[in-house]
Amino acid sequence: MRKNLRVLTLILALIFGVSTMAFAGPIPEITILTTTEAYDPIRYEAAFLIKEAWEKLGLRVNVQPLEFSTLIQRFYNEQNFDIAIVGWSGRVERLDPQHFLGTLHSEQTDVGGNNPGGYFNPTFDDLFEKQAVEFDVNKRRELVLEAQAIAMVEQPLSILFYRDEVVAYNNTTFKGFVPMAGEAIYNEWLPFTVEPVGTSRTLTIGTSQEPDNINPLDSTTVWGWKFMRLYYDKLVRLSPDIEPVPWAARSIDPIDDLTIEVVLRSGMTFHDGKPVTVEDIKFTYEYFMEKDFAYFRPFYRPLDRVDIIDSNTLHFILKEPVANFITVTMSQIPILPKHLWENIHDPSQLSPDEVPTIGSGPMKFDRYDRGEYKRLVKFEDHFRAREIDIDAIDYIIYADTEGVFTGMITQQVDMTAWRMEPAQIGLAEQETHLSVVSVPDFGYYHMTYNLRTPPFDDIKFRQAIAHAIPKRTFVDVLLDGRGEPGTSVIAPVNTFWHNYEVRIYEYNLDLAMGLLRQAGYQLDSSGRLNFPE
Amino acid sequence: MDKRNFLISRLIQLFFTYWIILTVLFFLLRLALPDPTGALIMEGLSIEEQEMVRARFGLDLPLPQQYLIYLQNFVKGEFGTSFHYKSAVFPIVMEKLLNTIVLMFFAIFLSYTIGPLLGVLLSWRRGSRLEFAGVVTGLVFRSAPIFWTGMIFIMFLGIRFGIFPTSGMRTLPYEATGFLDKIFTLDFLWHLTLPALTIALYYVALPMLIMRNTMLEVMGEDFIELCQAKGLSQGNIMYRHAARNALLPVVTQAAITIGLAVGGQIVAEVVFSWPGLGREMVQALRTSDYPVAQASFLLMSGLILVMNLLSDLMYSYLDPRVVYRREGA
Repeated sequence: MRKNLRVLTLILALIFGVSTMAFAGPIPEITILTTTEAYDPIRYEAAFLIKEAWEKLGLRVNVQPLEFSTLIQRFYNEQNFDIAIVGWSGRVERLDPQHFLGTLHSEQTDVGGNNPGGYFNPTFDDLFEKQAVEFDVNKRRELVLEAQAIAMVEQPLSILFYRDEVVAYNNTTFKGFVPMAGEAIYNEWLPFTVEPVGTSRTLTIGTSQEPDNINPLDSTTVWGWKFMRLYYDKLVRLSPDIEPVPWAARSIDPIDDLTIEVVLRSGMTFHDGKPVTVEDIKFTYEYFMEKDFAYFRPFYRPLDRVDIIDSNTLHFILKEPVANFITVTMSQIPILPKHLWENIHDPSQLSPDEVPTIGSGPMKFDRYDRGEYKRLVKFEDHFRAREIDIDAIDYIIYADTEGVFTGMITQQVDMTAWRMEPAQIGLAEQETHLSVVSVPDFGYYHMTYNLRTPPFDDIKFRQAIAHAIPKRTFVDVLLDGRGEPGTSVIAPVNTFWHNYEVRIYEYNLDLAMGLLRQAGYQLDSSGRLNFPE
Repeated sequence: MDKRNFLISRLIQLFFTYWIILTVLFFLLRLALPDPTGALIMEGLSIEEQEMVRARFGLDLPLPQQYLIYLQNFVKGEFGTSFHYKSAVFPIVMEKLLNTIVLMFFAIFLSYTIGPLLGVLLSWRRGSRLEFAGVVTGLVFRSAPIFWTGMIFIMFLGIRFGIFPTSGMRTLPYEATGFLDKIFTLDFLWHLTLPALTIALYYVALPMLIMRNTMLEVMGEDFIELCQAKGLSQGNIMYRHAARNALLPVVTQAAITIGLAVGGQIVAEVVFSWPGLGREMVQALRTSDYPVAQASFLLMSGLILVMNLLSDLMYSYLDPRVVYRREGA
């Protein structure tokens, strides 16, 4: 069925393509899909700024704001768009270039895939596939940089901007917050870095975002995992500078391309007092594989099995070489206690009360009242417990960011978990008890062209209009300077992987017009841009 | 037709109405909302993994079959599994429903006790400055958006003077063994004040003005003149004789308001971070969580139907002149 559909689209596209070639006429009206003003005023305004600039080039542009889920549906599930303005959030595991480069891989062009624009370049695909299996980070880096350079020349999409995360904390109650790229101050290191300034040893976080659930085999939202990762440990942790450091593992050594040796840290216990053993590690990884939890599939897919060598040592046997197994998989999969999970045969059927909440992480789960409150308390027996200066983390759940902000003003909460609205930032800066922190993000907002339809199938056209996207204005005006104009899919804040040499397209309408003329596009008597003859 | 037959025929009607609502709701949500697995793409799930999720929630089945399962579940009193929370819908919705009901109960109780009393007072002082002030104030609060009134309260009573809390149902953290344990506390009343007041002020104009208008009509009737001739006191005439006759439209209005109340005042719930059903409904529509959306709307429409029936029945109790008759009989 789907195949038939694809053939049909192809035929239609061909007919359409041939017909436009035969009768060069005006470029049809271009529709930019974006979010509603209420959902994200910045992407909404950006679309209108682009429209304004492009109309000066003789293009007809129509901006269509859509409800977010409808936008996602049109873009990913239907691929029914000329241009769509969407974004990727910067999640820790996406600091590894695999995910963001993968959004331009030709394997992802099917309906529902991550490459809805339909970008296809064999050279790019080749580089992408090679870097995915390259264990040597420096060699891998070369491949990643080259792939970025190709994408920037060919412009299958335009990265509009990277938006800073702007958060705030109460400086009269706590200090020592260490920001992390893309995560701001609500990150995994929070329990180890904050220190009380006042009398309270309970850090209260205000949030409008809630976990979907706290079942490690069923949670598919960032907010579920941002909470759970504080009470589960993982073999590897990413340092605030995004260096992978052995965590529950004492050491991790690749023996060959397909075998990784892990030595477990000794003396660790779960929150119920039972020791953490190699059995638990083996069980956890194989449990995730056996239950085939879709959300974690990319993490465990390359794994074949885990072998126990002795009471401290395990071998992870891979099916194929995978460059990011240590940095991504081992830093994301939480260690589950075998004795609590081994008898649960269908973890997705657990009711919220039945889900075990025992981990071995630095904090212990205490309670979760949906829509109202969450609480974690310090785990005194954690191997790094002496670095933790707080007794508990409380979460107050508000309906929206306005509620969180009121909580900050009335000092009900000590910090925000997510970014503040632009209008709140100025107000927060006026409050002496609040400190505002601005952290660059490696997630990005992009404008993707549907490369299947003219004129976007023409590289020259895309390169020309790349000079007609006012990225500086987005940052200076819409973001109030809190962000960076977009360049590569790997953001500059991701210093190791970002390619600083990529081609930059300065905003210059005359240059854009000149390039269009060179490529054969002409203005007709009514001032409208026409396809090349 | 006697009362019993009337009741039976109304119940049959109610049954069919509800079935139509069930059906329309099922198809409407699926036609109007985007695919619920759409959000998973943003989480980086591949096509194959999205298919796994679709299969788990039965979204891969043909629509008629999904509809049958939905009807079966409904008859069994099940609302299915939430796509977003991935757990049974009923406990999620029920808890939120109680939170909403308790808020709306206080708000409606306030406005429908004070409103009619004020209405009588206004009609009594017809043409006075008091009437003018009353009508204008009532209309101002009726026309002001709830979020605005709410934010003004938060700004002054919450932040500036710090008298009332601005969010939630209780001071966190709290221990409660059950719902009643949660609400029978001073702390709860303290948290309830601002949201309940905000909603009550919004509602109060309706019963007040309806009461005033009907009172003015009733005041022209002969029996009032008779009362005056009997030498009854003004207060007695107003509240005991006239008001009772003017109460009917207010009762109907109250029934409709209560019916709609189960959906809550979404805006008030958001402004005051009240963990109610309204917030849940918005979230369900945003994430295309059909089961939660269905359950919320079904509860709401069910309550509206029942309240309508009750108000019809109450009519005959309040006004014996109302008889139930088939047309033409």
